[in-house]
Amino acid sequence: MLNSPLHIVILESSKIIFEGLYSILYQSDIHCRVYRVENIDELSDMLKTENINIIIANPMHFVNRDKEIKKIKKEFPSLSIVGIDFGIMQKAVTETNAAFTLYDTPEHIIHLISRMDSRNKSLSKNNDDNDNLTKREIEVLTCIVNGKLNKEIAEELNISIHTVVRHRKNITTKTGIRSQSGLTIYAISKKIVEIEDIEI
Amino acid sequence: MHHFTATKMSSSMKMADQIDANPRLLLMLQHFNIDFRVSDLTVSQLCKQYDISEALFVDIANLYNGFGTKKDQAYTKKDLLQVIDFLKNSHHYYRSDMYPQINSYILMLQKNHPEREIKLLEKFFNEYFTEVLEHLDYEDNVAFPYFIKLLKDSREDSAREQFSSIEYSEHHTDIELKLHDLKNLLLKYVNIESDLDLRRKLFFALYELEYDLFVHSLIEETILIPSGVNIEKKENA
Ligand SMILES: [Fe+2]
Ligand SMILES: [Fe+2]
Repeated sequence: MLNSPLHIVILESSKIIFEGLYSILYQSDIHCRVYRVENIDELSDMLKTENINIIIANPMHFVNRDKEIKKIKKEFPSLSIVGIDFGIMQKAVTETNAAFTLYDTPEHIIHLISRMDSRNKSLSKNNDDNDNLTKREIEVLTCIVNGKLNKEIAEELNISIHTVVRHRKNITTKTGIRSQSGLTIYAISKKIVEIEDIEI
Repeated sequence: MHHFTATKMSSSMKMADQIDANPRLLLMLQHFNIDFRVSDLTVSQLCKQYDISEALFVDIANLYNGFGTKKDQAYTKKDLLQVIDFLKNSHHYYRSDMYPQINSYILMLQKNHPEREIKLLEKFFNEYFTEVLEHLDYEDNVAFPYFIKLLKDSREDSAREQFSSIEYSEHHTDIELKLHDLKNLLLKYVNIESDLDLRRKLFFALYELEYDLFVHSLIEETILIPSGVNIEKKENA
């Protein structure tokens, strides 16, 4: 595991910015491979062929491409997106897991990116065992979050209401969360459901 | 540094030492309308000064100290009226001190962290706060007036017939459960970058509130309700 490099793709049309980030990354302790794409379409293609871990993106490229971004996030849930914050766009904050500005120190940027790395590892580990929720419990949880009643959950998953109640009890025991709205926040934090799917 | 060293209180102990051993007793004093400057008084002397029965004071203090209530308590009607005052004062503290304080921390947190996740947390808290206010209003406007009538009036009062201690106990819910959820979400799951000062204040407020609510519910369920049931039984006999 230690030796597998981090695959980082930089989505940025400015060659100056790309070269700068590229040299910062290669001079750091991060063991990585860096790719470059110039737009969302190239990024989508890249994600299909390479096993990318982190995207560093100029959020300018996200403008009016919400559908594509949502799709990418859904298809590659363990991807981390780091935004380059030009201080002008809200998107840098909302669509990304972290952001830095071009005036941040290389140390800061490296720190940020290596944190994304460990985050990925713990996330993919968590995907196997969300506080040891079983696959079935995760399905029940998803239904709860979507506001379904026990009866509806039973019908959808083809199990008895009694079994649904048992699953709910186990979910509460394992997570320590009892209320429906609390479980919703839990499911979002654990990336079991997409926050975009939840109405606020 | 403070260590939690509370032992079972008895009436010959000095109140100041007791507060030192368990500072949560300050909240209890406040709910009893007792000033924090307790001088060198023993628990017994303090009770005499404020005209509170020693037995009641020590029982409630021991709930705060982490001990249970005795099974066979014989509280007087005057004691129970004081318990209701105590509970009302606690309600005031939740309504106008603790919940607004926690609410303001969450709002600040949301301002500093515009993520939708934190927005959800705020929504969660607001819904919870509304439920709590309903609970407190119900007790202040329906349950407590009933108990006060029961304790003060003669048995011919027909207005009382529509309510009973049992009915109150059946509708009595734990309002600290969702608080527990909120604490767990912040402690285990929701990812917030730094802002440690604010988050620590929020945690301390949550723990303070949670503990007081816990004791509060115990007082309602193990002192007020059983006493009410007893009085009703005697009157109907
Ligand atoms: Fe109450
Ligand atoms: Fe209550």
